[in-house]
This record gives sequence, structure tokens and C-alpha cells, in this order.
Amino acid sequence: MARHLVKLNVNGKDHALVVESTERLLDVLRDRLNMKGVKEGCGTGDCGTCAVIMDGRLVNSCLMLAVQARDKRIVTIEGVGTRERLHPVQKALMKYNAAQCGFCIPAIVLAGKNLLDYNPAPSRDEIKQAISGVLCRCTGYYKLIEAIQEAAKEIREVSV
Amino acid sequence: MTETELVRKLREAEGLAVIGKSVQRLDSLDKILGVPLYTSDIAPKDAVRVKVVRSTVPHALIKRIDTQSAKQVPGVVVVLTAQDIPGINEAYSLLPDRPLLATTKVRCQGEAVAVVAAGDLEIAEEAADRVSVEYERLPAVLSPVEAMRTDSVRVHDSGNVAKYLKVRKGDVKEGFRQADVTIENTYKTQFQDPTALEPEVGMAWVEKDGSVTCVGSMQTPFYVQTGVAKVLGVSPDRVRVIQATTGGAFGPKSDEMPIDTCAISALVAQKTGKPAILAYSRHESMIAHTKRHPFVITLKTGAKNDGHLTASEALVVSDTGAYASLGPLVIIRACFHATGPYVIPHVKTDAYCMYTNNTMAGSFRGFGSPQVHFAAECQMDELAKKLDMDPLDLRLKNMLRPGTLTATSQPVDDACGLEECATRAGEASNWRTKRLEFSGDRGTFRRGIGIALMYHGNSLGPEGNDYAAVQILIKPDGKVVVRTALTEYGTGAISGLAQMAAETLGLPIDQFELDRPDTASCQETGPTVASRVIVIGGRAAQLAAQKLKDKILTVAGDLLHCNPSRLTTRDGLIRHPDDPGWTISFEKVVEECHKRHVSLTETGFYMAPKCEFDPENSQGTTYQQYTYGAVVAEVEVDTELGVVKPVKITVAYDVGRAINPLSLEGQIEGGTIQALGYGLMEQLIHVDGIVANPTLGDYYIPTSLDIPEIQTIIVEYPGTVGPYGAKAMGEPPVDLPAAALANAVAHATGSRIFDLPLTAEKVLFAIKQKR
Amino acid sequence: MSVGNLVDLSGLSELRYVKRENGKIRVGALTTIADLEAQPNDTAWGKILNDAVRKFGSPNIRTVATVGGNICAASSSEDLIPVFLVLDARVRTIRKSGTREMPLQEFLIEKRRTALYGDEILAEVSFPEPSAHAACSFQKLGMRNTLILALVSVAALLETDNARSKITRARVALNRLKGKIPQRAESVEKQLLGQKLDEETVDSAVKRLGDELALTSDYRASADYRREAAKVLFRRALMDCWHSIVGK
Repeated sequence: MARHLVKLNVNGKDHALVVESTERLLDVLRDRLNMKGVKEGCGTGDCGTCAVIMDGRLVNSCLMLAVQARDKRIVTIEGVGTRERLHPVQKALMKYNAAQCGFCIPAIVLAGKNLLDYNPAPSRDEIKQAISGVLCRCTGYYKLIEAIQEAAKEIREVSV
Repeated sequence: MTETELVRKLREAEGLAVIGKSVQRLDSLDKILGVPLYTSDIAPKDAVRVKVVRSTVPHALIKRIDTQSAKQVPGVVVVLTAQDIPGINEAYSLLPDRPLLATTKVRCQGEAVAVVAAGDLEIAEEAADRVSVEYERLPAVLSPVEAMRTDSVRVHDSGNVAKYLKVRKGDVKEGFRQADVTIENTYKTQFQDPTALEPEVGMAWVEKDGSVTCVGSMQTPFYVQTGVAKVLGVSPDRVRVIQATTGGAFGPKSDEMPIDTCAISALVAQKTGKPAILAYSRHESMIAHTKRHPFVITLKTGAKNDGHLTASEALVVSDTGAYASLGPLVIIRACFHATGPYVIPHVKTDAYCMYTNNTMAGSFRGFGSPQVHFAAECQMDELAKKLDMDPLDLRLKNMLRPGTLTATSQPVDDACGLEECATRAGEASNWRTKRLEFSGDRGTFRRGIGIALMYHGNSLGPEGNDYAAVQILIKPDGKVVVRTALTEYGTGAISGLAQMAAETLGLPIDQFELDRPDTASCQETGPTVASRVIVIGGRAAQLAAQKLKDKILTVAGDLLHCNPSRLTTRDGLIRHPDDPGWTISFEKVVEECHKRHVSLTETGFYMAPKCEFDPENSQGTTYQQYTYGAVVAEVEVDTELGVVKPVKITVAYDVGRAINPLSLEGQIEGGTIQALGYGLMEQLIHVDGIVANPTLGDYYIPTSLDIPEIQTIIVEYPGTVGPYGAKAMGEPPVDLPAAALANAVAHATGSRIFDLPLTAEKVLFAIKQKR
Repeated sequence: MSVGNLVDLSGLSELRYVKRENGKIRVGALTTIADLEAQPNDTAWGKILNDAVRKFGSPNIRTVATVGGNICAASSSEDLIPVFLVLDARVRTIRKSGTREMPLQEFLIEKRRTALYGDEILAEVSFPEPSAHAACSFQKLGMRNTLILALVSVAALLETDNARSKITRARVALNRLKGKIPQRAESVEKQLLGQKLDEETVDSAVKRLGDELALTSDYRASADYRREAAKVLFRRALMDCWHSIVGK
């Protein structure tokens, strides 16, 4: 099996890795770079729990080969917020007790953050669209949507 | 949509500090930061990857299992079959009907036949493909009704009935004689997949002393401990089981799968000396794990012209698949609730849990209740139609109220908020106006509104001893730890236990921590099922906290030189009502306790009273208390395509006492959407015993674009068992939405669909047939 | 995953474009669905692409799924195929020894099989820009609102004369007509040609489609339902086109 040198930037840090042809971006992130917040819920691109932000857009990392991520800028949950300073989406999810089993939450946070990076005043429908590629079985989505709405408000108020 | 006004006011009036408040869950932060928590996240780097070889046919004799070429794949460390099991080759929940690894026969698709392990998952998968199993196919029985025939294929030598029970109340012959109107219909429900976002996973390693430690995604560590010990042929104290953070469960992770994943990993770990991890693929998960039982329910109902029910006769049949799992208990709940929450003097229910060669059905949130309520509530609407009565009025006429008797002749106590749920849901949804208005809809898009009511016997009831053990300990730094083998998997209930303790001890919730469920450090506590963590676990938590409080106040009294009996504790301060001078911080007292070597670790153990009833006719107290609810669903049907669009769902539940309104809403909302999926779009389809759609691209759960508007109403009629009167609320939210949607669709289209899910095809053809 | 040789094309940015040139719209094979989503939808072709991409997978999928990937997958689940069929699309392929061009219909041979040679890649899909009197529509039915395989999908294009009364060009394609691959309903197209844009024309076209459909049942849906739904979606597509043309 062929090997390739791939350079990619993850959460602001450059990495150079030798990957195999069939290695998925998901595997590189989880197993090589220890980003365990990126989940594997189905492996077929249907559940979105593996979603990461790649060059500013949400993608399912289980459907990407590691080689396709060369020279890309990737953001995972590990690059969003810290224990001391949560991202507004994370803060709002805490406030609403919105994380139940938590398995979809990293992808939801990324989807919410990415939406708000582009659209600081999304409608409820736009929020639903933004997270429509991530399945959640616990919450029914309601509090996830409210949290993102509240985060949008906070971001707008801070920037005023 | 935050804390309801009513709950907050009630709590304030009672002077409760934490109970009834929407305090933050204790497990949120790590999840929201994406900290490695789940089993696959914390697997050791050198763990070998395990792959299971599974049956590809629904019913067959195994003639030969050839593992030779698999063993020869470079990188394979071990290939195992049943012969390699040192202990007993069994992994079952209730009935001893299921092996861990098949030997001479497979009875459904997806049965584990052999196990392969390698350092690399791809190598393990390749080797698994090279295990060749020679099957001699046998005829298969694929429907539970067919399985009841005397000439049916036998799934097990003992026959196809895994469990039978009945309810006999009064005399149905007399009941039907009294009836002016009698209707009879047959309803069918489908396999629903739990679709927890984290597929099953378990790992194991051998400790230096030869004992085995298992870590996995599960609901009940002690079941796994017993199961693994049996397979390994050791005593349970040689197996330690730890629940890792679990990404959703809904019931099936309390059945056979966690035993399978951990026992198989343990076998591999023992044989190889290395840690081993078995993580199911989604495809494998959807085939192998337990699902919601499909039911076939024939209901015959009699009523007087004024609407009063006189008789109910029901034949309730479930398909438990090849192995019983929790089927024998699901059928009990279904049998007892088959009439719906109504007063019926004459009841005859016969319930059968049948084996077939389909894949297994087992525990799944609701546990038989969603199925029987679908039938019972559709039947009520059909009756209302026949009697030309409003469906809500018919229900108001017949619903259970304090003093009336259930189908099992259990008197309903004062903690019955069913009527308030029904009327408030009716008002909030604008029932009467919309029922009339929508009836006038013509044209392509037609609206409909439907209602359904339920009752849900709390906790285990007749299923077994209902107990829980919760340990509370206060660390020297003042942090309070809640330690229990009851598990968190999304419900927020374990944080609820901390709330109980926080209230009793008078401490803020942020001082609490949740320990990891671990058989080595926790007392055995029964399963985390049946929505019993708050109701039963909460009592245990209170008992533990009370014991600690007594100790703390004794020491506080000593330090303050006063009688401890009148000391109170709130917001971290211990006070005497008579003198503000007699005040001391909780922290100081804890410090002193540790100085004096007063142990601040207490275990609370609570066992609910046993349910006493006549097992022959199922008459008596079948559950200690009931949760009640009403759901109104509003839909818009595209009558050209049959597509049902859910517009609004109004739910009202008598929860006894809301412990954490925000978390409660989260459970209600999540359950409503899970049930919406059950009603409209989810069906795990077997074709000739083979699962046709075991992928998330072909099995549809609701997405964020499928949700309607929701309105939640919380009603409180405190029960007798749960702390502060709390009632079970983990499962009840899934009981009714499908039934309410079915009734709404019938209203919109004028024709009834008797089986779930309400796919566009069924709706369209029901409309066309009516025309 | 077990493959022989795998070549990653995703870096070929020169194949990622949507261009308007000499009355033709040219779409590079590596144009993503998200790229299409960003196209203005005030033209007939922009609208139908918009209709299709809005219901395509999920936002996560749209970022990476490509036009070429969709077409080469050659199955009834590929929503862009009916769309490009009604746009009279041609495909251009490239190999070391040169390029080929052919109508999309010719390129699609059967389920999961195209005319690509082993050393060839799909480079471009192009179609003539529909006239000002043309309108297109794409309708899709699935089991829920997003992330769905089409149970039934219908694409239609209608072009009229200057008076907007007679149909001068009609194209109709479905995700399934007679087999497991998207096809044009040519007898329906012939019937529509030259007809007046009115109820009667729509009715007979829908009936004609019903006669031409030869669908199969499977565990997802019966042939009967698929036919009924196809007729309804086709009617809606025609009405949608009609309204766009007449400017309602």
C-alpha cells in the first residue's frame, strides 16, 4: 500500500504525517492526532458525528481520505473553546442542559460555530439547516437550536 | 422554553433550594468540550481489534466452521469459536436460550459464530471474511402470528411461545352483551431500531493478578459482570466492569450486546495477553442488537351508546425474534396496559411473546407501552367515529380517575393527573376549534388533529425486585461524590440523584461530582432501566444523604454547643433557627469530621414495596404508581402524495414532581421526536429474515428538518414512591406521539391506517381506497 | 476498504468551475454541490440546479460531493442525473490520448456503469443555455426532509415560442423510468412537443407518463406507489414550469 506525506493544519497547528492511501481523515484525526472528539457513528456519512470544519466548511471526515485533506485547515472540537473560556455555543449548550448523551455534541458545536462565523443573525430555519447533517437521537434538536440562537445573540451583543 | 412558572413557584413556596430548579447537569462540560470519554476514545493504543463473524442466514444448521485460512492471514493474533470458551457458552437476559457463540445452529441473521482479532482492524476484517461457515438452511418462521400455529417451524425445542400471560377482569361475554356498539380491529407495529449514535463497544484486559477488567458502553455493569464471569468460567469477583460514558442507550444496551462485546473482548484478552476492543460497525449493530418488538394486536371493544366502555377483549402478540431477551417482560407491560387508561368493567387480554427467526427484539424505551397505546388509542378514535362523539369527549367519559379501577383492578389513587393532562393539552392545542375547522378542509393539503392518552406503570412493577443503592461521600476538600452503579447515558437522571443529595445536605449543586459506575467500588443496584433512577435511585440517594446529614449535624451541634436536632443546613451554612450566632459553615464541619475520623461515606439502599397481585388473572397492584399523559398532534397531509407533515405536537404529562424542569423538557422533547420517527418514518425491515436496511442512509430517524413545533405542559400530582413525589419520565414521552399522529392523519384523510409507520404509501392508498 | 489503484483527483482545481460561454453552460466535473448552491437561481438552469441541490444530502455532504461523482455513480439515487438529462447535457472525458464528447444518455450505460475507460476521467458536463422562454423544475420525494435517497424524483424542462403558448421543446427525466438508472421519458416529451400550455396538455402528459413507467417494487415502496408519486411529481414539475414561463 502506498504511503504519502500529508501536511495539514489542525486547530491552528501544522502537522506533517505519513499516511496510507486508504486512511480516512477520521482515522488520522482520532488515532494519529488524538482528536477523540471526532466520532464515528456510522462510517457512511449519514450521521455527521465525524463532522469537522475544513477550510471553513463542514465536512464528514469519515468520507474523506487523509490525502484529500493535504494543505487544508481543519478545526475539530478540540480547537473550539477551553474549560476556562467556552465558545458561546458551548456556553449556551451548558445553560440549556442540551448535551444529553453527548455523542453528537462535538459536531453540533462545530456546525453551530461555523454557521455563526458566516451568519451572525441566523433564523431558526437557517440554524436547522446548518445542523441538518448531524443526527441526534436524544434531544429532538430543540435545545440545540435554542442554544445556537442564544449564542448568536451573545456574539452580536459582544461585538456591538 | 425554560423552567415552567408553575414548578418554580411551587418549589419556592415549599422552600426547596435545588429540587425543581433547572440546575446544570454535572456531566455536561466534558461532553461539550469533546474530552475523550467514550470507550473507543480511551482504548489503550496497543489494544487488539476484534471482529465477529456473524450468521448470514435466518435459520440453519452449522455443518462446519473453517477457520484455517483466517488463521493464516498475517497479523491475525487469534481466531476463536465456541470450543474456546473456558466457561459456559451462554449470554442471555432472562430465558437460558442463547449462546454467546453459535455451535450447531443459528436462529437468526447476525448471530456470532466466530471471533477474529488482529492488531489492525482491516486485517481482522479481512480474516473474518476468510472464515467460512457451511450452513444447511432450515425453513424459517418470520411472523409471530405464523409462529403461533401448531404446525409452525420451531425456533426452539421448547416451542415458539417465550411467554404467555393474561388479564381477566369481570366477564367479557356479559360486557359485550351490555354493549350497544362493538368494534374489532387488528393493529400492527414494526421493528424500531434504537439508533443510539454510539454503536455498541466493549473492551477488556487482563490484570496482573489474572482478573479481567471490562470497560464498555452499557446500562447495567453488574449484568455484564455476571455475564462475562459465566463465559470465562470464573466467579464474578474476578471480573471488574466499568461503564464508560455511553453515547445513547434506550434499552438495548441493557440487554445482550454489552455482555457480548465485553465477554468476547475478555476471551480475546485472555488468549492473547493483550487488551482487546470490540467496536461494532453501524451495519453490524443494526443487525445484531435488540430492537423494539413488533406487535400484532387485535382489539375488540364494546361500548354503550352514551360512550361508556363495557368490554375489552385483546389478543396481543409480540415478535421477540430468535432469542427472548427481555421479551417476556415487555409482554407483561403490554398485557397490563393493553386497554389504555380507561375504566372498563370487563377485560379479557391474552398476550403472547413469540419466537421467530427474525433478529432479536428486547428492551426499548417504552417497553411495550408505545405499541399497545397505538392500538388502544386508534381504537378509541374508531369507537368515537362509530358513536359520532368527539374523541376527547369519549376519553373524558371513560378515563381513569381517583377511585376507579384499572384493567388489573388496581384502584387509582389521588395522584392521577390524567384529566388535567387531557384538558390542558386540549386547550393548549385549540382542540375543539381545530377539530371542527380541519374537518372542512378540501383540496390537496388537508389538516388533521388527533389526541391520545396514556398511563405508564412506574419502574419494574411485576418484573422483579425493585431496589437501588447509592453511595454519597464527602471528600476532605468539601466536594461531594455520588457513586452508584446506576448509569448515565443521556437521561440526566444521575445528576438528578446529586440534586436529591444537594437538597438534603443543603449544598449548592456545583459542589457535587459523579463517580464512574464500577463493579469494584459500587454496590449492586439493579438495572438502569424502566425510568427508575429518579424514582427508586432518588430514594436511595436521599437515604444516603440523610445519614450523612445526621452525622454532620451531630458534629456541628458539638462544635456549636447546641442540640443538633433543630439545626438546618442550606446554601452551605448550618444554622439554628433560634440564634443567628449558632451558625457554622458546612465546610468547617466537614474539616472537623475528617479530623475526628468520622467517616463521611454513606450508602443508601431503597427497595420499593413488592407488587402484590394474583398472577393467574393479573388482578391486583401491578405497579406502585403511574405516570399519566396526553398528546395532541396536528398534521398536514399532502393527499396527492400521502406525505404527512407534523405541524405541532402538544404534550402534557403528570410527572409527579419535576426535579429538574430543563432536563425533564429535554427528555420529553427527545422522546417525542423518537416517537415521531416511530410513527412516521422508521421501520427496520426484514426480507425473508434478513435485515434489508441496516444503515443510517436507509433507516430514517428524524433530522432537524423533520421536527414540528412542540409545546410541553408539566402537571404535578405527587406520587407515593418517588422522592418529592416524582414519577418516572424517561420512557413515558415515547408512548403516545405515534398514536396521536395516527389519529390526526385519520382526521385529515377520513381513513384509518392500522399499522405503523404511517408512510406516504400507506396514507395515499388509504385515501384512495376510501374514495 | 480494498481497492487496486486509487487516484485522488480532488486537487484538480482546474476542473472546478461553472462558466457561461457561447450560449453554453459548462460545469467542471469537480464542481461541488455547494458550489452549485452558490450559483444565482434567476435563470431556468440556475433554478433547477437550485431545486436539486437544496434537497441533496446534507450541508456536510454538499461540501465534498461533486458533479462528476454524482454522474459517474450512475444510479437512481444520483439527483443531478435527471437534472442534466433534461438540460440536454453532454459530457467530456479526458484520457492521455485525448478527449471524447457524448450526450449524457450515451455516457450512462446501466446501474453503476458508465462509458468511461479505465484510464479516463470525466472532465466536464455542459449544456446549451435554455432560452428566455424556458423553465425547469426538479421535484423529489423521500422518506423524510433531508439526507434522503430519492424514492421518486422528476426533472422537467419546457420551452415555448415567443407567445409563450406552444411548447417548442420538452424534456422529462425521472430517477427511475423502466430500469434502475435515470432516463428520459421520450414518448412523453414527443407528446408534449407542439402542444398548447394548458390543463389538457398537462393531463395527457401525466397519463402518458403513467403508461410509460415500468417500475418495480421493493421493501421501500411498491411499484404502484412509485407510479402514483411519479405522476404527481411530474404534474407538479409541469405546473412549476408553466408558472415560471407565464410569470405567475
